[in-house]
Amino acid sequence: MRITAFTQLILVLAVTAWVFLLPVPLVATILALELVLLLYIKHDRMTMAAIGALTVFTGMMIVLQLLFGSSLYVSLTGGLRMFVMTTAFLCLLAATKIQDIAQALVEKFHLPCEYAFMLTTALRFVPDFLADSQTTLDAQSCRGYSNRGNVLKRLYSYLAVVKPLVMRAVAKSDTLALSMELKGFGANTYKNMAPQCLGILDYTVLALIIFMSAYPYWQKYI
Amino acid sequence: MIETQAVNFAYRRGEPVIFDISCTIKDGEFVALLGHNGSGKTTLSRLFMALDHPRSGRVLVDGNDIAKLEPADLADRVGYVFQNPDLQILEDTVFDEVAYGLRCKKMTEEIIKKQVKDALSAMGLEDLADAYPRALSFGQKRRLGVAAALALQPRTLILDEITNGQDEQEKEDMMDYLLKLNKEKQITIILITHDMNIARKFTKRVLVLNDGNLVFDGETAALFDGSKDIEQWGLKQPVLSQLGAKLGITALTPEEFCQKVSLKVGEKQ
Repeated sequence: MRITAFTQLILVLAVTAWVFLLPVPLVATILALELVLLLYIKHDRMTMAAIGALTVFTGMMIVLQLLFGSSLYVSLTGGLRMFVMTTAFLCLLAATKIQDIAQALVEKFHLPCEYAFMLTTALRFVPDFLADSQTTLDAQSCRGYSNRGNVLKRLYSYLAVVKPLVMRAVAKSDTLALSMELKGFGANTYKNMAPQCLGILDYTVLALIIFMSAYPYWQKYI
Repeated sequence: MIETQAVNFAYRRGEPVIFDISCTIKDGEFVALLGHNGSGKTTLSRLFMALDHPRSGRVLVDGNDIAKLEPADLADRVGYVFQNPDLQILEDTVFDEVAYGLRCKKMTEEIIKKQVKDALSAMGLEDLADAYPRALSFGQKRRLGVAAALALQPRTLILDEITNGQDEQEKEDMMDYLLKLNKEKQITIILITHDMNIARKFTKRVLVLNDGNLVFDGETAALFDGSKDIEQWGLKQPVLSQLGAKLGITALTPEEFCQKVSLKVGEKQ
C-alpha cells in the first residue's frame, strides 16, 4: 500500500511549513525520520552522494551565517531547517515517478499541463545537462583545450563550456517540442492516465498533516 | 604509436568493463576495432584519448604516458572523432568548428585559414564554411568531425563508427580518403566499427573485443578466412567470407574472390 503523489506533495509542502512552526527537537526528529525513509527507499551511491553534498552545503551555510554575525543557535537552526526541507524533496523524488508528480499537479492541483510539464522537464534535464557538460569538456579536450591548472584557471575555463552547452540545450528543446507536438501533447496529456485515487493511508496521512500543522493552536494544552 | 599495458577499467558506479588489455598499434597501421555493442570499443578508445583513466595499467602514446601529457600535446598526436557527431560541435560556423583546435594552439590566422581550408576541401565541405554546423545533415556532420580532427594534423586518427548514417557512396569516399591518408601520409588509422565489410575491405589488422576482453589481435584475412567462429564474439562473417568458407576460398575483396573462383573452376575443368 502506497500513498499517492498528491499526498506526498502535500506532505512535502507541510514539512516545509513545519520546519518554521514546530520546535527544534521535533524538526530534528523529522530529519531523522526523513533520512531513515530516504535510505529505506533508495540506498544507492547517488543517494549517499546527494546526502553528502547536502551536508557539505549545510555546513557551509552555517559557517557563512556565523561569519556574518548570527548566533550559533540561529545558524544551526537555519541549517537544520534547510536540510529538512531539501531532504523532504529528495524523499519525494526518490519515492515517486516524475510522471506521477506531474499528473497530481494537473489532476489535483489544477495546474495547467504546460506548467506541470515544464517542472518535470526541468527536473529531468538536470542529469542530462550534467552529462552534456562532461561531453563538451571531452570534445574540447580532444581538440587540445586544457582546463587544467589552479582553481581560478579551471573556473575560467569552465566558461568555455557554457556556449556549446546552451547551443546543445536549444537544439534539444527544439527536438523535444517537435516530438511533443507529434505525440499530441495538450490538455488531455495527463488526463488520459489512470486517475490517482486516494486510499485509507492517504486520508490517514492527510489527517496527521492537519493535526501537526495545527500545532500552534494545541501546543498550549500539552 | 599507441600502446596499452595491462589496462583495466571500470566506470565509477559500475562493474569492470575492460580487462587486462595489452596491445600495440604501430605508426602507419590501419586497424579496425571490432566488437558487439557494449563490448568496450568506445571505452578503450576513450582511454587512448585520456578521456577516462585506467584503474590499472598504462596507455602510452609515442612512449609517453598519456596521463602526464597536456591535452594540447595529445591532440597534436591523436585526433578523435566521436560516435555521435552532434556531441563534438562546439562553434557556430563550420569554419570556426574546424578552427577550434588550431585556435587552442594559438596559431596565426593565416595558418588557421590554410589548414581549415585544406581539411574542409578534403571532406568536401568547402562550400559550407559559413553554415551553422547543427543544421548540416548527419553525414555532413560526420565529415565535419573528421575535418576538425584532421585540421590539427595528428599522427593518429581514431574514428568511432564513422560510417554510420552515411550512404554507400559517402562511405566509400570516406574510406578511400582515409586509406589515402594512411598510405600517403603514413597516418595511423584506428577504425571502430560494426561494419564487417568495411573492416574486411580496408584494414590490414583487426582487434576484436568481447565483453571487455581482447579476444583476437591479428591480420584481417585471418579473421575472415572462415576458420574462426566469430559469432561467439557477437560478430557475423561478411557474405563474401561465408561464401568463401563454403568454397574453401579466402578472399578479402569481390575481385579477389572472383579471381580465385575462376582459378578453382579452371582447375576442375
